[in-house]
Amino acid sequence: MNSRILALAAALAMPGIANAHEPRPGPNGGTLVDAGTHHVELVTKDTSVEVYLSDASDAPVPSEGFKGTAILIVGGKPQRVSLEPSGGSQLLGQAAAPVASPVKGAVQLTAPDGATSQAKFE
Amino acid sequence: MTATLLFLPLSYAHEGHDHGDAPPVVVSQSVPRTEAQSALFELVAVASGGSLEIYLDRFETNEPVTDAVIEVETPAGPLSAVAEAEIYRIEAPWSLQPGEYDLIFTVSSGSDIDFLTATLSVPDVAAPVLAQRSGWLANSAFADEMQEVLATDLRDRLSRNDPGLIAVGILGFLGGLLVMAVFRRRTVFAAGTGAVLFVIFAGSIAVAHEGHDHGDQAALMPVPSGRDVAQRLPDGTVFVPKPSQRILAIRTILAAQEAHRRSVEMPGRIIPDPNASGYVQAAIAGRLSPPEGGFPRLGARVEAGDVLAEITPPLQMIDQSDVRQRQSELAQEITIAEQRIRRFETLVASGAVARTTLDEAKIELEGLKERRSALEQVQVQPEPLVAPVAGIIAASNAVAGQMAESNAVIFHIVDPARLWVEALAYGNDGQFDTAAASDGSNRALALKFEGAGFADRSQAVPVHFSIESDTKGLRLGQMLSVLGQTQETEEGLAIPRMSVLRGANGQDMVFLHVGAERFEPREVRIMPLDGDRVLVAAGVEPGARVVTQGAELLNQIR
Repeated sequence: MNSRILALAAALAMPGIANAHEPRPGPNGGTLVDAGTHHVELVTKDTSVEVYLSDASDAPVPSEGFKGTAILIVGGKPQRVSLEPSGGSQLLGQAAAPVASPVKGAVQLTAPDGATSQAKFE
Repeated sequence: MTATLLFLPLSYAHEGHDHGDAPPVVVSQSVPRTEAQSALFELVAVASGGSLEIYLDRFETNEPVTDAVIEVETPAGPLSAVAEAEIYRIEAPWSLQPGEYDLIFTVSSGSDIDFLTATLSVPDVAAPVLAQRSGWLANSAFADEMQEVLATDLRDRLSRNDPGLIAVGILGFLGGLLVMAVFRRRTVFAAGTGAVLFVIFAGSIAVAHEGHDHGDQAALMPVPSGRDVAQRLPDGTVFVPKPSQRILAIRTILAAQEAHRRSVEMPGRIIPDPNASGYVQAAIAGRLSPPEGGFPRLGARVEAGDVLAEITPPLQMIDQSDVRQRQSELAQEITIAEQRIRRFETLVASGAVARTTLDEAKIELEGLKERRSALEQVQVQPEPLVAPVAGIIAASNAVAGQMAESNAVIFHIVDPARLWVEALAYGNDGQFDTAAASDGSNRALALKFEGAGFADRSQAVPVHFSIESDTKGLRLGQMLSVLGQTQETEEGLAIPRMSVLRGANGQDMVFLHVGAERFEPREVRIMPLDGDRVLVAAGVEPGARVVTQGAELLNQIR
């Protein structure tokens, strides 16, 4: 009887588990956070700044038509990096100096329809 | 147990996959504004007349930050904010157009760099400003109405044997059967009952949702005209725009769960350090006379060994006659001795008297003379009174010519830099780690525990502390209230005593800084901790920002 009660309790408790608010590791090795209606993953490798877009269910979203700006702390100073679509769900930019990973910063995106969204990485 | 488990998911019921931050509570306002917070800073941006005013404060303390450099990523490109007195300003002609604007503020102040993201939403000028309430229960008018409708409805139904009521009864019975069947492993029976229940429920679901309004009740709020004013909102929170917060000098602290030493308050008074104070007492009764240079005045500094006064013992009548008698006897003996010496001197020459006899007579005469002079001195030689320790004259009873009794205290010498406090500890063993005393002038004196007595004094233990801080302005015998930290600890959130207010209902409450411009009154249960702080036993979670300065002023906002 005990196993049945536990199974019932587990089934009832299931809906409470899903929670996707917190910054979390993304599929491309960066940090994944929520930004408006999208999820944004920020990956920094040396001087390249890569941003991957996905939707609410973490499915990739084509980056075509998106524009973006990343403001990152590089060497203790804020630095602005423009992001351009570079195929797939990726937006790419180049920082002036190598960027440490994980990096502290913010990303602002403008969708093809003009709607903006922003994500904060800490 | 099953019941407990069944209730588990209820606590999660409103969590889900929700994008973006929790919707900010829209406050009745006339000016579009947005706020952002980080671990270091709190920022409020207000759009007014084509420019954006930025207020930057420390997150924990709510202190204005005036030396920061703010870069803003705006729809018109990156801009540097210009500092103006206590605010920062950027030109923002775009903010005159209705719409949603995403902004990134890059704040650098000293070595702190932080990013703050915010969305400024400029409503259509014609549109009324809405205030949002959370949950339908909060809408008291609606809840009251529901209650009333239900009550009358039930009464009606009971009076006419409504089939609905009977249906509810049957439903309950079937539910009971199902539970029993599950527990008794009657699978077929359980499935059957379940099926019946499902059919009944499916039919009633549509009914259940009629008239049942979930959340998002939008109510029209009074719109104050012109500028933003501090006001109390219908949910009890207080909206205070940043300019008002700066005038009221609102400050906060971050409540943290820590172990705190419990402290007790004791009455105490200042006593001199026994190793740095002393009395000057007369050992014999006598007449006081000033030493060379006069008596030391009150407060004069003296060194150990200084002569402070002289005391001359008086001669009693009987003693005086004794002395006179002795003097005349001596005078007589001296005369006899002198005559004998003269006679012997002539006889020695002829050899009739031995030389030794003459010498003995001379020695006897000298001895007699010495005794006479000693007797004369007794009447005039005073005894000096000397300072036993260095210090200042704290009390003086010296009057020239006064007859001081034996053991009388003539001077009290105290070193004013070395004072102790004697306190009476009630209800504990008198063992303290550290202590502080306050003399009523908002000055805290650091005390060091010296020792506790063992003998009971008026049902308390006398405890001695030495004063470690500056003793200027203190005097002996002065009453103090002493706060001693005992060795027992209490776990909890410590907040300053002045942040606790008394609500209209008499309950203790504090204001929490819940949003950049919102303060929420919260009822708390407090326990005494020490003179400055209290311990919150219930009502405030760790990490909440509790208003310390200006709480009283917030409470007056209507």
